[in-house]
Amino acid sequence: MSLLAYGDSSDTEPDALVDFTAMLRQRQRQFGCGNKAQAEQADDQGYYLEQYVLGVLDFSSQYGIDYSISYTAANVIGRPTKYPAYGDYPETFTMRTYGDWWKRAPSATREIQAQNLPKLATQDYIVVYFEEFVVPTEVVIYETFNPGAVVRIWAYGMTKHWTCLWEAESETDSDLARPPADSRRFAPPLNNTAVITKTLRIDFNHSRLNYYTEIDAIMLCGRTVSRIKSLLGKQQRQQLKKPEFVSLPVAIPLTPKAESSLESSPISGGGPISYKLRSLKFQPKCRPDGATKLHEFINNDLSQFLMENRVEGGEQQQPAVVPSICLTDLPFEILLRILSYLDLKSLFRVGQVSRIFYDISSHPLLYAELSLKPYWHLASSTLLCTLALRATMLRKLDLSWCGGLGNISPTEFKKFLTQRGDNLTHLRLNSCKFLNSSCIETVGIVCDNLIELSLRNCATDPPLLNFSCLANLKNLERLDLFQTAFEPELLLSMLEGNRKLKHLNLAFCGVSVNMDNVAAHLATYNTQLISLDLWKAHFLSARGLLSLARLHQLEELDLGWCLREASLGDGLFQLLSNCPKLKKLFLSAVRGTTERDLMHIAALGKSLEQLDLMGILNITHERVYDILVHCPKLQLLDLSFCDNIMDRDFDVLADWSRHFNVDIKSSRVYVPR
Amino acid sequence: MHSSLNWTSRMISRALRSSFSTLLETATGGGGAAATKGAVKSASGSAGEAAAGSQRPRFVSVVCGFAKDNLRHKYKPGKYGEDSWFKASTEQADVMGVADGVGGWRSYGIDPGEFSSFLMRTCERLVQCSHFNPQRPVNLLAYSYCELMEQKKPILGSSTACVLILNRETSTVHTANIGDSGFIVVRQGQVVHKSEEQQHYFNTPFQLSLPPPGHGPNVLSDSPESADTMSFPVRNGDVILIATDGVFDNVPEDLMLQVLSEVEGEQDPVKLQMTANSLALMARTLSLNSEFLSPFALSARRNNIQARGGKPDDITVVLATVAM
Repeated sequence: MSLLAYGDSSDTEPDALVDFTAMLRQRQRQFGCGNKAQAEQADDQGYYLEQYVLGVLDFSSQYGIDYSISYTAANVIGRPTKYPAYGDYPETFTMRTYGDWWKRAPSATREIQAQNLPKLATQDYIVVYFEEFVVPTEVVIYETFNPGAVVRIWAYGMTKHWTCLWEAESETDSDLARPPADSRRFAPPLNNTAVITKTLRIDFNHSRLNYYTEIDAIMLCGRTVSRIKSLLGKQQRQQLKKPEFVSLPVAIPLTPKAESSLESSPISGGGPISYKLRSLKFQPKCRPDGATKLHEFINNDLSQFLMENRVEGGEQQQPAVVPSICLTDLPFEILLRILSYLDLKSLFRVGQVSRIFYDISSHPLLYAELSLKPYWHLASSTLLCTLALRATMLRKLDLSWCGGLGNISPTEFKKFLTQRGDNLTHLRLNSCKFLNSSCIETVGIVCDNLIELSLRNCATDPPLLNFSCLANLKNLERLDLFQTAFEPELLLSMLEGNRKLKHLNLAFCGVSVNMDNVAAHLATYNTQLISLDLWKAHFLSARGLLSLARLHQLEELDLGWCLREASLGDGLFQLLSNCPKLKKLFLSAVRGTTERDLMHIAALGKSLEQLDLMGILNITHERVYDILVHCPKLQLLDLSFCDNIMDRDFDVLADWSRHFNVDIKSSRVYVPR
Repeated sequence: MHSSLNWTSRMISRALRSSFSTLLETATGGGGAAATKGAVKSASGSAGEAAAGSQRPRFVSVVCGFAKDNLRHKYKPGKYGEDSWFKASTEQADVMGVADGVGGWRSYGIDPGEFSSFLMRTCERLVQCSHFNPQRPVNLLAYSYCELMEQKKPILGSSTACVLILNRETSTVHTANIGDSGFIVVRQGQVVHKSEEQQHYFNTPFQLSLPPPGHGPNVLSDSPESADTMSFPVRNGDVILIATDGVFDNVPEDLMLQVLSEVEGEQDPVKLQMTANSLALMARTLSLNSEFLSPFALSARRNNIQARGGKPDDITVVLATVAM
């Protein structure tokens, strides 16, 4: 086969023909439909459809509490309500964090196996579903406040795999270079895949945003595919075989033939057209075959090509430099060290190179820290099995976001944990949908050396965390129950049992527990507490605040939306006097904060770095100035929705911001379009 | 005050904890029951078409009103001065409501219309939520009241409220009323149902309120639990009027009855609008009349207050007929 004679079908061999039909057969196998169905599919193209979100399956975090319709994930449903208006509106979907403030806070955690994360790591996500299956041509995201957080769009195809439709380019820096502060209809160019879907997942990274980002609606545009039911039926009957887990596959299978079939095969399948093509011995252009072509070109045609174009250099051969030492000559420990910088996917690929590399790459020391969070779309029970064989010295495990839509079975997880979990010190199971109460019980029984347990976003009903299932854990230093339901007695007994607790996150848990009781327990049993998050604990009272004042080691306290209109009493003063190390204090919407309280903050908050006073009434300029002057370490001051800070004072605030080197957030009145 | 908020929020969180987990379904794009129930935003029109055949009733509804201070208040849709109203409809139900902001807050620097407007707008949004219960208008009011707590921008003030839901499946109307707004149902020239005015004392109606922090104990605040609820079946041709006290205090009942019986069975929204307009104008004219013995004046006299003439107030009229 000669490259120069490409396109001339006269010298094609029968072998070339086989490629094409084999590709067809692969494609049919992959999409699980018989010849007949494909032929019928070729005829009706379906119609073009634009649809808005019908429902939300999952989300990692939201600003509002789940029974509310303000700033919560449910607002993404339906048509956009606020677009093209720009501003901070409650009828939109807002996430809990923004910027890098949470990374700078005392409660910040370190990522497990950080080398697995891509450049633009996903911080938050939302999974939505639509009404009709379509082949997506466009996904539109209506952003109405601080646009620029979307980094990835995934689609869940009918083959029960997630495909990435679009990913932000971190090198070109285009999307995260802070788009202008205006509402945006964000419709990135999608990859050319033929996935049929009605479920999307949108990934966000808001580390470079100025303030919260808000999404009004998501629209999925695409072409419907008729014969969906027959496709589904055939699939179920043919039992689609999942790829054996030897190496972590990419979203498209790695074999070149299959790759080419996805990229180059025509949309219409095996109908009268392809039959005709077959009879013509047609050879389609296959780009991924480039490797083979290049090889042949260099072997056969390079010299002729150079001669024809009169390019010099074909004759000059560099003397082959034989390296005196090769990679495998290095000592085992050095190689181990080198490989320890690799992410998990590359580690598996390295293992395919040779026997030596297989031995090194499967050494247990490389699997002491394991994070499947970046590979959430690939995690499966088989993967867990494979990893169980290697991870004999497992210390830190992060299975966050994995197992949604049934890829991991609870039994498999329990088996994994029983085999490898007894030395675990850090366990993160955020948003793991496969967890059931026996899984949690297993955690409680097996992993008694746990220092950190993170179970964010497990708000099932009845709650997963019920009485005494985690009673065995006595060494916890970090417990994260953000947006998770649990029984109050369990929490109280855990507080009593874990005297060394340093970080506790009970955001959105205020409805299920009596926070005053929790505060009293903390003051009695957990005096080493450094950070406490009580976001939206509406029923915390001044009494609870006084209990919290007994935690002298406190460096971070998030009391956002607590206490409601109740007066703080002496609570804040006591807190500030007794906790001199306080670095982060969030008093968002704690409407009972008075001017005296602000004076106390200025007088006693010497170490304050982050202060959130959003929505507090009657803050005057004098108090703000006081705080700026007397808190030298202040980095963040949030004054949004503070009634007295008027629009015209923005220049004054901007001046102060520059002068004191503090990032001051304030509400702007945006001119409606 | 604090206790009323506590009660409301705890009731809601307990009741809703399980129903909100429809957000976290395990089925692959299952949708299922949650999807069909009302998560889809359906268009709301004054003459919303019923899904099934002729047995399912619907409201043909129109709105009219005047702000007390026409000069000061620029017209904004959804409110008349400090009064506010909403209309919404789903496959299962037609919902209407009015709210009257208590004017006394103006002297504290709080816009009284903000509270009532927010209450009604949130009710409208909540009707489209999957957990909307067409048989419990009290829940609608309670959820709407709770949403106030979840706003970044502090909303203060108080208002009365009256919400009416027509459940299409059972052809019954469920109502909830707090304060002195109300509704009246007319059939064959007679009043068949009427709401009761709820007052603590004269000119101080029951009200949902959110006082500024620190003033809690000094402010009247009633919880949604104290709402007056009624449920009754309706027939084709019934006339339902929901209005704020600007109408009930100025227009005597027999006059209202006369006006309303004329539109019994009327399905043409234009004619209905004409009647609503005339009723509102009637109320407005009488309110500005200083000699007329309005129902307000009569009731004042019963309370040993020498009053005469109409009561100038915002007027909101929501008029609907039941069509099958």
